[in-house]
Amino acid sequence: MPLLEVKNLTKHFPIRRGILGREVGVVRAVDGVSFTLEEGETLGLVGESGCGKTTLVRSLLFLEPPTTGEVRFRGEPVTVADAQRFRRHVQIVFQDPYQSLPPRMTIGEIVADPLKIHKVGDQKTIETRVRQLLAEVGLDPARSGDYPFQFSGGQRQRVGIARALAIEPSLVLLDESVSALDVSVQAQVLNLLKDIQERRRLSYIFISHDLSVVRYMSDRIAVMYLGRIVEHGPAEDVVEKPLHPYTRALLSAVPSLRRRTATRARLRGEPPSPANPPSGCAFHTRCPLARPECAERRPELIEWLPGRQAACHFALEGTAENRRD
Amino acid sequence: MLREFGEYLRTRPFALAGVIGVVAITLIAIFAPWVAPHDPLAQDLMASFKPPAWQADGTWKYPLGTDLLGRDILSRLIYGARYSLLISVGSVLLGTAIGFITGLLAGYFGRWTDTILMRLGDIQLAFPFVLFAIAILAVSQERTWWQLVLVLGGSSWIIYARVVRSRVLTEREKDYALAARALGASRWRVLFRYILPNVWQPIPLIGMLNLGFFVIVESLLSFLGLGLTPPTPSWGTILADGRQVMMVSGWVAVFPGVAILLTVLSISLAADGLADFFDPKLTHGNFRRVPLPPAERADQDPADGAPLLRVRDLTTIFPTRKGTIRALNGVSFDLEKGSVLGVVGESGSGKSTLGLSIIQLLDAPGRVAGGEIRFDGKDLARLSNRELTAIRGKRIGMIFQDPSSSLNPVLTVGYQLKETLRRHRSLPPHQAHEAARQALSAVGIADPDRVLRAYPFQLSGGMNQRVMIALAMVSEPELLILDEPTSALDVTTQAQLLDELDGLRQRHKMSMIFITHDIALISSFADDILVMYAGHVCEIGPRDQVIDQPRHPYTRALLDAVERVAVTETSRLAAIPGDPPDLTRLPPGCPFANRCPQVMPICHQVKPRRVAVGPNHEAACHLIDSPPSAPSQYGTTAVEAGRAAPASSVVANDNRSSRGNSSLVETAEDARGTNSISSTDRGRGESNEG
Amino acid sequence: MSSYILQRTIQMVIVIFGVVTVTFFAIRLVPGDPARLMERPGTSEEVIKQTRQRLGTDKPLSVQYVNFLKDLVRGDLGTSFRGNRPVREAVLEALPNTFALGAVTMVITTVLSFVIGIGAALRPNSLLDRIALVFVAIAQATPSYWLGVVLVLIFSIRLGWLPAIDLEGPASFVLPTITLTISLMPLLIRAVRQGFIEALGEGFVRAGRARGLSERRLLFVHVMKVAAIPLITLVGLEAGYVLGGAVVIESIFNWPGIGLMALLAIQQRDFPVVQGTVLAIAVVFTLVNFLVDLTYAALDPRVKY
Repeated sequence: MPLLEVKNLTKHFPIRRGILGREVGVVRAVDGVSFTLEEGETLGLVGESGCGKTTLVRSLLFLEPPTTGEVRFRGEPVTVADAQRFRRHVQIVFQDPYQSLPPRMTIGEIVADPLKIHKVGDQKTIETRVRQLLAEVGLDPARSGDYPFQFSGGQRQRVGIARALAIEPSLVLLDESVSALDVSVQAQVLNLLKDIQERRRLSYIFISHDLSVVRYMSDRIAVMYLGRIVEHGPAEDVVEKPLHPYTRALLSAVPSLRRRTATRARLRGEPPSPANPPSGCAFHTRCPLARPECAERRPELIEWLPGRQAACHFALEGTAENRRD
Repeated sequence: MLREFGEYLRTRPFALAGVIGVVAITLIAIFAPWVAPHDPLAQDLMASFKPPAWQADGTWKYPLGTDLLGRDILSRLIYGARYSLLISVGSVLLGTAIGFITGLLAGYFGRWTDTILMRLGDIQLAFPFVLFAIAILAVSQERTWWQLVLVLGGSSWIIYARVVRSRVLTEREKDYALAARALGASRWRVLFRYILPNVWQPIPLIGMLNLGFFVIVESLLSFLGLGLTPPTPSWGTILADGRQVMMVSGWVAVFPGVAILLTVLSISLAADGLADFFDPKLTHGNFRRVPLPPAERADQDPADGAPLLRVRDLTTIFPTRKGTIRALNGVSFDLEKGSVLGVVGESGSGKSTLGLSIIQLLDAPGRVAGGEIRFDGKDLARLSNRELTAIRGKRIGMIFQDPSSSLNPVLTVGYQLKETLRRHRSLPPHQAHEAARQALSAVGIADPDRVLRAYPFQLSGGMNQRVMIALAMVSEPELLILDEPTSALDVTTQAQLLDELDGLRQRHKMSMIFITHDIALISSFADDILVMYAGHVCEIGPRDQVIDQPRHPYTRALLDAVERVAVTETSRLAAIPGDPPDLTRLPPGCPFANRCPQVMPICHQVKPRRVAVGPNHEAACHLIDSPPSAPSQYGTTAVEAGRAAPASSVVANDNRSSRGNSSLVETAEDARGTNSISSTDRGRGESNEG
Repeated sequence: MSSYILQRTIQMVIVIFGVVTVTFFAIRLVPGDPARLMERPGTSEEVIKQTRQRLGTDKPLSVQYVNFLKDLVRGDLGTSFRGNRPVREAVLEALPNTFALGAVTMVITTVLSFVIGIGAALRPNSLLDRIALVFVAIAQATPSYWLGVVLVLIFSIRLGWLPAIDLEGPASFVLPTITLTISLMPLLIRAVRQGFIEALGEGFVRAGRARGLSERRLLFVHVMKVAAIPLITLVGLEAGYVLGGAVVIESIFNWPGIGLMALLAIQQRDFPVVQGTVLAIAVVFTLVNFLVDLTYAALDPRVKY
């Protein structure tokens, strides 16, 4: 049984106008997303700003309850009512190391608070646990009385990880958790996350705009565009032999030490607004392969190759072309 | 804390005066019966209207004279302070209590609670407060202090409520509040344990200012005959009495006014002092550039044959309260005409400061403290402001990281573009419009007319950055400095923009300094690469050399990190342990020593020289320099340049010696507003030994 | 746009209705009988009762309130308890006096505050800046009514240069205007200084310098527009305050405006006049705020209706 099953999850935000707040439209921030996650597995979620990554995360945590769709945890459906119980098993590490820790609590208090909320043991056990947790993420437990501003960005992110681990979740959502860090510090934190995952058999959902980081961290990768998953498959395959033209564009846009500018495939224009998505395939306005029918019919996310899904009418043509290069 | 505040007050005479004033008035009010020479109500009809003691008819028995009934004015003023403070302090406490709770609830729970409370506040604000107080107080026969407290306090809650509400609205959306909810904290726990500690800070300050206001209002009410019931002494009543007898004895009206003025002045000075103490603002004020004095040795390079830009030994500092940040420590390089130099470094490396130093736009308190910046033979650091204006924007342009804040938010793109066009080329209006359209088309904007009409907030980040590039290209500068021009953008937009820049560069044969944290980004673009660390140049050389044969351990580590080279046996990434050093306390040796995998004892003691390791390729590392090798072609060595090194403290082989205290240190980058606050750490997670 | 104006108009009506209602009950619920106040002490209960009937204050509150609202809808503000004068007429006569004083004051206050505030912002910690801040601190601590009294003491009584009270030609504007200006300037100077210092530190100023725009252009076009827009709100608040009748200053200088009228009416418990003046003040105040918001929206492209 998978750890987490998400079926057709949507999150719509109404657009209101006028005196009475009439609803004049909806922003489809997340529009029918489905995936599963096994115990100990990492799913990478990639996309650019406005693709719905962040909303998806918040919906998964029920911080903003999903509009429709189903979330099952170990086979049990999760509802708004028992979100509290669900939160014992799912935790999150945020992007901004400067905003994600309460500035006026010591790091010891920050890590202890989840234990107090869920009433795990007495004061003494909590103190011991906090020291263990800080040590586990590579921080000096003697500093538990210090405040977040006394730490560097990388160290703060470690505090955030310790806080997330405190109540021993089985799934941790990593929302751009290393994007704000310098490259030299990123690697430290990524290694730490891998160590912890092995030790605790954790599952991760690793969200990032940086494909190279996602590839390193993930077993499988899902690529999002305008609120939908457009490609989904084993990490290696998605990066090496992408099926969806958007994935290919993303990959070629990632700067690399070994490639010169000229060979890059460019996207035209800018991402459309999720309040007013294009007809048919949402990507057709920027797609180098677009044909008339792309504007009419929306491609479903279907399995083109074993274990590999893409939402594109011409998924295999693209790859063929790719191979010719 | 108290001690720190005392230290701080010593440097702030105004705040000190305010605090002394507040303490003095409070003491006088509390000990009024012991301080006052007379009973404030005791009448001496024989001594009616005595003038102050220093006047002809005055007596020291009544230092400030007497009123109609012969009551001592000084004593009445002293007792007046009692009631004035009692009522004002009581009102502030009441107003704060009501306002704080309502603001907290309205902000956190929102919806109808919020609507009702805020509309109530509007009604109250639309109603002149004085009239309200007067209407209620006008009819009471006996007015006690708590009635006044109810009226004043009840009317001021809305101020606090609004402030608290808006702060709660901001705080509750921050990630830490979301994290608390995700942890399963109850709403009350999130509110009280997480949000509350971060919203109350402005309240004491507003309370202090409000206190001063209430002292005035209380006296005003007494003045109108609506204060405490006579004969209770009050500053306003004394003033009102004085007004009646203004023709005879003007003094009576003056004293209470002075008492009020001094009280309120003390309160507000103390409040300002407190505010600055708790929230020191970096108000270094407006940009003001002071050129360096002319160099002692006037060896002018012949202009021909020299590179377009020659930077030597550039040192830039930011003096702050917590110490001087040494943002650049002897940076030297050359830039040839038409070539692109990529400057790579992490936050706090001084890479942005380098760009700003060259174009001479450092924000106060930052300044170039030494070295030369020769552009076309002229030393930019030593040009007068007037001479520099002819170069800046005309021959040297700069593009910043955040395009939306680099454009004026309330002027259209068209306005800003035409204004810049007029500045650099004299064009009649209709041609200016056409030129503006062309300028936008030239940077790949498909619909220039729409963009010209738009305000920056209506455009995407990528579009705004194209506009910035178009603006910079108006004058066709010979040198364009780009400070992380694509870092705020999505990868696909970034790729588009890089193509545009590449095209422009080839069409215009422009030189560029491209500053970035991403060595991969610049590797496809730059001719030469300069790697910076803690304000030092680690390595500089042709692109292929630096990428393929890096000589400095930091460059290697950076490349490994970017390529995500896995350490094979564990499948872990190659990581650089630790964090960059504190720029106010740079170690005497190599700045990278504490994180370097190949550190040697000498690295902690002696700053490495920059030495040639190949054609135009140099690095500053003891690994290369032992045995001594060829000196730098840039005619300077890091030892000479290493003014930053403190002369004292020779450090033994202890690589944790630079553990400073962990105070917040703003890097040079922060001083100009990007969001990278770094701090030193006392006990690192990893040990970096060996 | 039109829906925004409609929305705001409805809001204004609600606010004004709230103010009027609160006033109506506030003045009636606090003890104190206007009939008794009007007659000499010792007047027989019978006469007082008759007076009450004449004034209509003998009826139950709810009836009085309904009658009041009915009249209000017709534009009738009732008749003064004293002197039988229609309140509307009295209010309309007093308002221009208040407006005249308010307008002169606001023009002077705004111009001076901007000049001083910008000067201080351009050179923080300079002599000008320090002088401005000392002035701000002292002026803020000075009770305006006391300042009025002292100015009268010096310039009218001791020196005899200026009329002390009443509206007698342009000279009578001098002292009340000075008093009001000094009490209004500190807040505005502080805000102008702070606003300009902040705007001068914005990225677009640096970017403007980087593309060679002149300092003058940056200050008077770029910074001015960005910094001045938020200040409109504060200027509006202060304008609302003086245009709605600076109660105390009017009473010190015996200025025949709406504020003085309200104050006297409250002291005499002249209910219709209290209601009429408060209504006028609330209308002026909310209208000024409305105009401020409209100006704001017109100048700042980021504001949406």
